Amino acid sequence: MAVSDNRPYYLNLVKIHLPVTGFVSIFQRISGLLLFFSIPFSVYLLDLSLQNSTGFQQAQSILQTPFVQLVSLILLWSIVHHLVAGIRFLLIDFDIGLEKKPANLFAWLVFLIEAILFVLLCVGIYL
Amino acid sequence: MSSPGLQGLRPWIIQRVSAVFIAVFILYLCLVLVINNPLNESDWSTWVATPYNNILLGLFLIAVLWHAWIGVRDIVLDYVPNVVGRLVVLTLVACTLTGSGLWGFKALFMVFFK
Repeated sequence: MAVSDNRPYYLNLVKIHLPVTGFVSIFQRISGLLLFFSIPFSVYLLDLSLQNSTGFQQAQSILQTPFVQLVSLILLWSIVHHLVAGIRFLLIDFDIGLEKKPANLFAWLVFLIEAILFVLLCVGIYL
Repeated sequence: MSSPGLQGLRPWIIQRVSAVFIAVFILYLCLVLVINNPLNESDWSTWVATPYNNILLGLFLIAVLWHAWIGVRDIVLDYVPNVVGRLVVLTLVACTLTGSGLWGFKALFMVFFK
């Protein structure tokens, strides 16, 4: 084996230059994982909000604490990205946007649409 | 077939069918929240106690848990190389999802006994 052969065995996502389609994919995983971690907490809030009026108010005040507000903002982004990028993956299943050029265009479109949706939702929810 | 249900076409299809159901239900939920804004306690529990919505919420819960299981399983299989590690992590994930499911169904069922 040549001495100069120091190719890495594993891909270091920070070191390699990831194409925009790669960012859509890796964010799909990150957002999905974040949403997975939110499931038990969401179910807790659902249960609490349905118990009685005190529980409903408790759930509301939990959602209004600064820390939870920050977490919900991250989760809101996660849902928006997962949804928009998910639609793109479904389109790819139907061979739409499969070639290199349209794939890159669709990936940029995902980020554009999700940014607009995220801002609109933030305005709708917080203002 | 050393690990039935862990690979192949079936989880791939379930992932896509559940994705479409989840997306449509979230749009419905957003619509309901916009119409009933601001949401109060009695409207909320009445909405959840409507049989139609209660069943849809139950199906939504199943779809989310199943979708999450397949997604997290794929991530674990990619990043946890050894068998014991995979078994431990996947067991924790399965327990979390099953527990959340039972808890959620309890909440959806108990709304009829308020």
